[in-house]
Amino acid sequence: MAISDVQEYCHLTEADVEAIGRELDALRERVERSRGAKDAAYIRRVIRAQRWMAASARIGMIVAAPLDKRYRRPLQAASAVSLGLAKILENMEIGHNVMHGQWDWMNDPEIHSSTWEWDTGQPAEQWKHSHNYIHHQFTNVLGYDNDIGYGVLRMAREQRWTPANLGQPVYNALLATLFQWGVALHDLDLDAIRHGKKDPEEMRRQLAQIVRKGRHQLVKDYVLYPALTGPRWKETIRANVAANLMRNVWAYLIIFCGHFPDGALHFTEDELEDETRAEWYLRQILGTANFEGGPLLHLMSGNLGYQIEHHLFPDLVSNRYAEIAPEVRALCEKYELPYTTGPLHRQYGQVLRTIHKLTLPNRMTKDDRPPTGEGVTIEQHQRVRHEDTHQRRTELGAWSRAAGRSRA
Amino acid sequence: MVARRGPQPGVTTASALFAWEGAPDGVPSRRLVTRCALARVCGACGRPLGHPIAFVGTSDEVARNAFHLPPLHDGCVDAVRALPAPVPLTVVRTAGFEFVRPGSGDADPLPRFVPNSLL
Repeated sequence: MAISDVQEYCHLTEADVEAIGRELDALRERVERSRGAKDAAYIRRVIRAQRWMAASARIGMIVAAPLDKRYRRPLQAASAVSLGLAKILENMEIGHNVMHGQWDWMNDPEIHSSTWEWDTGQPAEQWKHSHNYIHHQFTNVLGYDNDIGYGVLRMAREQRWTPANLGQPVYNALLATLFQWGVALHDLDLDAIRHGKKDPEEMRRQLAQIVRKGRHQLVKDYVLYPALTGPRWKETIRANVAANLMRNVWAYLIIFCGHFPDGALHFTEDELEDETRAEWYLRQILGTANFEGGPLLHLMSGNLGYQIEHHLFPDLVSNRYAEIAPEVRALCEKYELPYTTGPLHRQYGQVLRTIHKLTLPNRMTKDDRPPTGEGVTIEQHQRVRHEDTHQRRTELGAWSRAAGRSRA
Repeated sequence: MVARRGPQPGVTTASALFAWEGAPDGVPSRRLVTRCALARVCGACGRPLGHPIAFVGTSDEVARNAFHLPPLHDGCVDAVRALPAPVPLTVVRTAGFEFVRPGSGDADPLPRFVPNSLL
């Protein structure tokens, strides 16, 4: 089910909603005021560690090349793992958060949202549109947020079922293993392309940028570095495939656990009308899910185990999410709001169950999400009617649309 | 070839600027201001922001350190300052900013930008 009235769903008065907003504002202001040298040292330390891991992996593969098989294989395997971890750290804790502008306050031109280009197929510029704007502004709103299934999976019961959904388990496995390329195509808005609503000129510009970035990634991992290992180039390619696969599956897992466990809700566009800051906070809490784990797990997942805190304050430094999480949770308990969390394996188990259930039409399965009151949700038949008349938002898949007049 | 929206030489009308698209009263579109804030693009040309980031505002906005106009490239500032305005606009430069959505009880009902590292 999808929520069309968050306030009513939560049984909160307007005064409650505003009080929640004030408490969250105070939390945010406190972290902003105390942000400083210790935080800057943290991100610089993470970047330094990531670069050493990447460099030692690349050097390890070169050094391993002339060695005897006995020594070469373990060194190559260790290098592949080190490279995979470096890519994970770069994408999750560094790239994602730097591009949100979390570290802009440091005034370091290198660690800045305008200059960071990350080690993955999607150009940073398109990511900042599809993720920072579309996903964070329209979080879990059906028909708006392309993260709901990435344009290939049916992740909500309100999304129309078609026989093509029977292949979801296969699409899901492909999405996980090829995740960087799925993300690379994310801002194209595959739904718009399927329905012939995509401006071809816009698509051409986006594709050209994706091809340029993709070519750079492919040359680096599958031509340049393998060439440096001479006759062992095939083994280096295999190691780099393994590293990319590690990163792809991990990034997919973390991202899907942030929005698709049972407690994370979907919304209709009614909820966007005249939304205040406090209502926006509320929608972020309801639309996201955390997972539990130790500091290393949170570091390697870009602190997205604190997905609720990240969605409340996407431009607040990620190393402070752990500190504010207990307070956000206490606030949710005080107002009897759901604070969805659990161990990573349980959260992903629920995601997998949803993916598999939604391969079938709704009449053949039961909804696992929490029940809601009368009149605060929309049902499948209403959604279908809505989709028939719905004009897709022009912002979707329009990263390069600085020329509004051309689309009129 | 599709021309990109942005400040053109000699053009000083609001409609030529990215965040002012479809805003007949010369006020930037709230939807596009939010997009500039989150996607981190320039309010004048629609291209990704650089370093530093510029904001233009009235002396009151400068004093409060809270700006209503979207972030800009340094080189796009003049296009915005050339727009008809009741009072002169001052430029401030920053490395980063906070984007603040309006609350229901706020005296200021518009989204605003709070530079967090003035240069």
